[in-house]
Amino acid sequence: MDFLLQLLANGLVNGTFYALSALGLTLIFGLMRVVNFAHGELYMVGGLIGWALTELVGANFFLALLIVVIATGAAGYLIDRWLIERVRNQGAESGILLTIGISIFLTNTALLIVGTVPHKVLSPFANKPLFLGPVVLTQSRLSIVAICAVLMLAVHLLIKHTTLGRAMRATVQDAMAASLVGIRTERIHGFTFALGTALASAAGALLGSIYVTQPTIGGLVSLKAFVVVILGGLGSFAGAIIGGLVLGVAEALWGGYFATGYVDAIGFALVIVMLLVRPYGLFSVKSERA
Amino acid sequence: MRKTCLGIAASVVMAATAAQAQETIKIGLIQPLTGSVAYNGKTDVNGATLAVDMRNAKGGVMGKKIDLVVEDGQCRPAESVNAAEKLIQRDKVVALAGAFCSSATLAVMPVAANYKIPLITGVSSNASLTEKGNKYFFRATETDELLAKSFAKVVFDTLKLRNVAYIGVNDDWGRGGVAEFEKQMTALGAKTVMKEYFEHGTTDFYTLLTKLKSSGADGAFVAAETQDGSIFVKQKAEFGLPVKVFGVGSWATADFIKLTGDASEGLYAAVPYASTMTTPKNKAFVDAYVERFKEPPGKYSAAGFNSLNIMMDAIERAGSTDAEKIRESLTKTNYEGPNGHFQFDAKGQATGFSVVLVQLQKGVPNVIATTTVEH
Repeated sequence: MDFLLQLLANGLVNGTFYALSALGLTLIFGLMRVVNFAHGELYMVGGLIGWALTELVGANFFLALLIVVIATGAAGYLIDRWLIERVRNQGAESGILLTIGISIFLTNTALLIVGTVPHKVLSPFANKPLFLGPVVLTQSRLSIVAICAVLMLAVHLLIKHTTLGRAMRATVQDAMAASLVGIRTERIHGFTFALGTALASAAGALLGSIYVTQPTIGGLVSLKAFVVVILGGLGSFAGAIIGGLVLGVAEALWGGYFATGYVDAIGFALVIVMLLVRPYGLFSVKSERA
Repeated sequence: MRKTCLGIAASVVMAATAAQAQETIKIGLIQPLTGSVAYNGKTDVNGATLAVDMRNAKGGVMGKKIDLVVEDGQCRPAESVNAAEKLIQRDKVVALAGAFCSSATLAVMPVAANYKIPLITGVSSNASLTEKGNKYFFRATETDELLAKSFAKVVFDTLKLRNVAYIGVNDDWGRGGVAEFEKQMTALGAKTVMKEYFEHGTTDFYTLLTKLKSSGADGAFVAAETQDGSIFVKQKAEFGLPVKVFGVGSWATADFIKLTGDASEGLYAAVPYASTMTTPKNKAFVDAYVERFKEPPGKYSAAGFNSLNIMMDAIERAGSTDAEKIRESLTKTNYEGPNGHFQFDAKGQATGFSVVLVQLQKGVPNVIATTTVEH
């Protein structure tokens, strides 16, 4: 019983982290119809900036997080206005090729600047074991889970209950109609990509304090994020959260009761089943499209 | 990236060629300078460069300067073969060293044999390489099998491990290491209580640690490289597990210790080289290395240093840059390196050098036991 409880706790914590690292991907797809293959690399950039600020500059963790969000948000806005803008409405392929190009550029630029050594973001939370009955957790994991929850709630409120959020949703539903009622759709696209980028790099900086971060980490992050969003439904916010938790718990139980060696396969097995049974994922957002 | 790198490498090579007089002896070195093990490849190149520079400062080999030509093999078979072809055909090197990953070295071996160019590796540890019957290939490091044979007894006697958990990265090296250690430890009387593998790049070991906790192991054997190993060790400390950890891979390096911090306290690691080894040769090597590169040498720095020294010694003894004579001369190697004595058997496998069991204490790998690699 204790064994199962510990596995569930591990799975839920990991699931939250998976959800967080997939949010930016699902948001950009849901609100822009862009499949962002540079997602994992934006995560990596966030982690490395977080490391540089906390370790090299000596900045406070939360200040570093804020700087990461603002800096990468601004960069995301510019990426959209300067690059994605040029391939908008030219089919999915050009967007995919563009973001793959961005991902290669980011990885290799990071390799040139910081090299290949893994780094860690310094956080103020303790890594000592914390015993909750039979279950072991750490203060840092619990704190990051709490910060994840706050971030998710904030983004949810932003999209559902602010003028900017309404404009984002209007733009993806029908860009022409949105611009007829006075929404500057070009800027809204920029803001949406900025939000997705900021979320990806915030996840990188937060999780960089639990795990490590390095220039070549992007591919793995993207892979898991794609599993999560396909499970939950591409573009669905609630889907990403549920998809993340399902993946986390499934991996923990599989690893605990069978073998940890093939744990990465379980996510893809789930994806295959999901595509056969519910091709649009647990929370389909198909109805939202015009 | 690849193009840029090759471009830079090419221009460096050209500049070097132009600057040097005609009378140099060229040795080619293939290491991963980009990709996931680029950091480790770079330290190997540093060690090799130091060996060459020290030799040139003393007048070189046969009165000629040695010119080390470095190519990026990316730890991939195809790129490493391209690098070898380029070094042999364009640069006309007389000998090769490399290519880090066993799979890459395996791909370069037939190229070397084809052109009759001697090839030495200081890193690739897959036991099968020296079983290929390639007479131009020499290995100046331990194999996974020899390491397990040399250490199982030390671990059993010194650390008194009886209920052992085996954890390895899910590739040929990790699985090979686990299989070999388990065999040796079981023969000594230890009981296997758990055997698990994890993927390269795993970020979360809590599931594995939960299993380790309930397995009742008093010690865990872990085969992992810097990144995976450091995360495992940190999370084990977070988990509050009192299980002794005994690792193979690059565990006693400065980066590993920096990444793990306090969590590395008390860890045991089996390594073919530690900068704290006490031989006089090692002291001189560490001093020169620290002065040049501002950090203590790791196992791959020593590997690069040894490989190049063994090759240069062989050329000196051969008294010629004729490949066949260098090969002949390599078989008679009798080299004293920072980590002991090297000589080759009929298959080109080195024996006679030391491997050490270290314990990390306050961020320093202290040598607990030294043993010599024999057949």
